[in-house]
Amino acid sequence: MPMKGRFPIRRTLEYLQKGDIVFKNRVKIMTVNYNTHGELSEGARKFVFFNIPQIQYKNQWVQVMMFKNMTPSPFLKFYLDDGEQVLVDVEGKDHKHISDHVRKIVGKTEEVLQAEAQAKMQESNPANFGPRKYCLRECICEVDGQVPCPGTIALPKEMTGKYRTMMAAAQEE
Amino acid sequence: MSVRHASVHAKWIIGRVIGTKMYKTAKVRVTRLVLDPYLLKYYNKRKTYFAHDALRQCTEGDIVLLKALPEARSKHVKHELAEIVHKVGRVVDPLTGMSVEGTQFVEPPTDLPLSLGEDQTLSEKLQELNISTAPSGADSPPAQNPTS
Repeated sequence: MPMKGRFPIRRTLEYLQKGDIVFKNRVKIMTVNYNTHGELSEGARKFVFFNIPQIQYKNQWVQVMMFKNMTPSPFLKFYLDDGEQVLVDVEGKDHKHISDHVRKIVGKTEEVLQAEAQAKMQESNPANFGPRKYCLRECICEVDGQVPCPGTIALPKEMTGKYRTMMAAAQEE
Repeated sequence: MSVRHASVHAKWIIGRVIGTKMYKTAKVRVTRLVLDPYLLKYYNKRKTYFAHDALRQCTEGDIVLLKALPEARSKHVKHELAEIVHKVGRVVDPLTGMSVEGTQFVEPPTDLPLSLGEDQTLSEKLQELNISTAPSGADSPPAQNPTS
């Protein structure tokens, strides 16, 4: 049973996760002005059709707004945190070209992304035990082959602290 | 400690003005793209914000940029108008600076007081038009220009 729509691959999680434009933290709003007819807006239309879902997936907190047929020439506008605005002319450009250009001006670079991924991996160290939110396991009793949790199964007498102190006291005298 | 006075999450937002009937306040509709979890397609989800507009510049249909106020002005107003991005009916193309109507360029209206380099008075403009009913001056033409 095939998927519905013109390019249904756009609606797959794998496609959305493949998007590689991650905006810098300063970018808050992205606005795309394009036209529905005309050769010059063709690249912008393709950009909106193919790349905008990927961008929005990777940048959940950026507001993306589309405006159609407001001006004769298509453009992108980015609104940064300190009131700064970046205007990008996309008239006559190809959608691949547009996304490369956008990544170069307002996207995080490869090194920054890799550094962030590394930092995230370091945080989730499997050697750490703690609350479920931060670590994989909470106690060593959860691991196969280790001593089971004394809360569920009683420890053998020799391992209990009570027995050991009794034995130590008996040894002393 | 009431949560009402906490700062807002959205620092900068863009929206469209839908109402200006309140005193110095604009009602702005902001749309964000939200992913439908089953269809995996993005749809616009709308939310209305109230923004403080001290100079009453907004008309219905403008596209405006709002900035979050450091402290909420009232129970609902937490943003103020930063800039009108596209004024309805008077959209200016940012690349060329010319006024625009849909996909067409438009001559800037000449009766604006701010039109560039226009120092002529109305009488001089009428003189340029050169209106007269009769070619000869037998009867005084009604549209004779005053020589003031």
